[in-house]
Amino acid sequence: MKNYQLTIKADDKQVVLERILQVTRYRGFLISGINAKVNTGTNVGTIELMVRSERSIELLVDQINKLIDIKEVKVDNSASQQSIA
Amino acid sequence: MTTEKKLTGGGLLFNVLEQHGVEHVFGYPGGAIMPIYDALYDSNVEHFLCRHEQGAAFSAVGYARASGKVGVCLATSGPGATNLITGLADALADSIPVVAITGQVATAAMGSDAFQEIDIFGLSLACTKHSFQVTDINDLAAVLHQAFAIALEGRQGPVLVDIPKDIQLAEVNGCLDHLVNLKNKVKLPPANVGSAIALLSQTKQPILYVGGGVGMANAIDELRAFAKTTGVPSVSTLKGLGTIDPTDENYLGMLGMHGTKAANLAVQECDLLIAVGARFDDRVTGKLNEFAPNAKVIHFDIDTAEINKRRVADAAILGDLKVNLPALAIPLSIIHWQEKCQMMKTDFSWDYNHPGESIFAPAVLKEISDNMPENTCVTTDVGQHQMWAAQHMLFDDPSNFLTSGGMGTMGFGVPAAVGAQVSRPTDCIIAVSGDGSFMMNVQELSTIKRFQLPVKIVLIDNAKLGMVRQWQDLFFNGRLSETDLADNPDFVMLANAFDIKAKSITKKSQVTAAIEEMLEHDGPYLLQIKIDAQDNVWPLVPPNTANDKMMEST
Repeated sequence: MKNYQLTIKADDKQVVLERILQVTRYRGFLISGINAKVNTGTNVGTIELMVRSERSIELLVDQINKLIDIKEVKVDNSASQQSIA
Repeated sequence: MTTEKKLTGGGLLFNVLEQHGVEHVFGYPGGAIMPIYDALYDSNVEHFLCRHEQGAAFSAVGYARASGKVGVCLATSGPGATNLITGLADALADSIPVVAITGQVATAAMGSDAFQEIDIFGLSLACTKHSFQVTDINDLAAVLHQAFAIALEGRQGPVLVDIPKDIQLAEVNGCLDHLVNLKNKVKLPPANVGSAIALLSQTKQPILYVGGGVGMANAIDELRAFAKTTGVPSVSTLKGLGTIDPTDENYLGMLGMHGTKAANLAVQECDLLIAVGARFDDRVTGKLNEFAPNAKVIHFDIDTAEINKRRVADAAILGDLKVNLPALAIPLSIIHWQEKCQMMKTDFSWDYNHPGESIFAPAVLKEISDNMPENTCVTTDVGQHQMWAAQHMLFDDPSNFLTSGGMGTMGFGVPAAVGAQVSRPTDCIIAVSGDGSFMMNVQELSTIKRFQLPVKIVLIDNAKLGMVRQWQDLFFNGRLSETDLADNPDFVMLANAFDIKAKSITKKSQVTAAIEEMLEHDGPYLLQIKIDAQDNVWPLVPPNTANDKMMEST
């Protein structure tokens, strides 16, 4: 089981957080933690998502990137680490 | 089309639909969508009343697949909306552009457990490409334009727009200047052309693995030119059937669980697999880590998320197939491999010999295929008849074979045929169904009757849920569980109740005349073909087994 930290930038649109969480669960990633805030000036939300899975993080990044309201998905390699399940 | 005067939200909806060239919609009215149905009265859009919202959704899917246009369906809130879900899931799995409009309770009542209120916006997340809920009338036009753009952009798919009743009634200017041009927002990495050319230069035994994405990308000509220039032997997925000319000497047929022996053996032996608009679906690959075990992979797709999802690509070619396929179409020296594949195709060709008088479904479907008019569109349901149709009928374009591939949805065939017939009124439309599937949306016979659609229904009837029965016999020690349908209704009488001419046949000697009568009939027709309940679909790759270990008989 590997831990990953994603930083996601998204338009502040309806249910964008639900969409991210639904894709994360469906694609086989467990959520360890989440922080979310919106810049009301730019209407861009920033979501920090801590997840863990046996699967490659690229599979999740590609799927989140497909969501219409997503602007950017980055994997924070310094915060991602391998752990014993 | 009104552009200046005040409109209701409902009126605006139809103006935007017309702006996007929508001529036909499929739906079912109800309380929370009544303002939209009222506005329908004044629009030029033709509405096809289906007899269940699931039928409306599948008709929209069939319409889209047969025509290449966006399919549109309407439903009311609550159960109307939830009844669309299976159709939307089907469209998502097969990447079909559909726009679904649902009525919602008024915004003031939302969240109060109002009558016929359901959170369809929330439910839509897992079964649409994208969805919207309109809470401000001033957003409605832009949302609708976005819905059409998203449905068609990149990898196509279904979009749902949920419109509360007060938004449908609210007044708005009839401004129509909000057409949206989306660009693919996922930045595609550059195509790995150099690596792909190197792989093509080295290959001795390549296979072209053709999926439904080629037709969706309108790149059939480019794909056929690639196959001709390279000479690479080809195989097709279920959804890709019709993309390659089925009479091409290098075409080996469908691969996968019920694929041809030649196709599966060639894929297992190949040293280079060129996947085009295909996604290494589990029904294609069998045991994944034994699929094409010695092959390098070139993967063409529009969807970044499909690259390396199930099989690592040695060269990923992301982007428009119409551009990328010609860039890699180089002649190859693979004559010995071509000859070997052609020999396998000959050695393992279908055998239509079938003892006894009972009707052999593969032979019937081949005979229909051989005799149906040019540009006939065939829809299927799901089960044994679906696989027999895929194996034994020939199609020259993927828009002429509409089948529920990814979702495998029973009940798809008849309403999809309704949509196909509406979109192509002068073409012959044949729904190949099974007795289990047929009963799942049998109410759509009423839609056929209402609009006098000349759909032909070929009902392969074994009084069983045949595919499940086959698996119970093969893999569950013959413990048959809830697969007997001996109490089916009299299908001829049932069709007649909808003013549909029908005939039932049970013997081989009746087949040719019955097919002729059906195809010559000027109107809807149901041909019930009773077959032996023990007939199985062969070959069959058992679950979690490599594709070269197919079963060919019990």
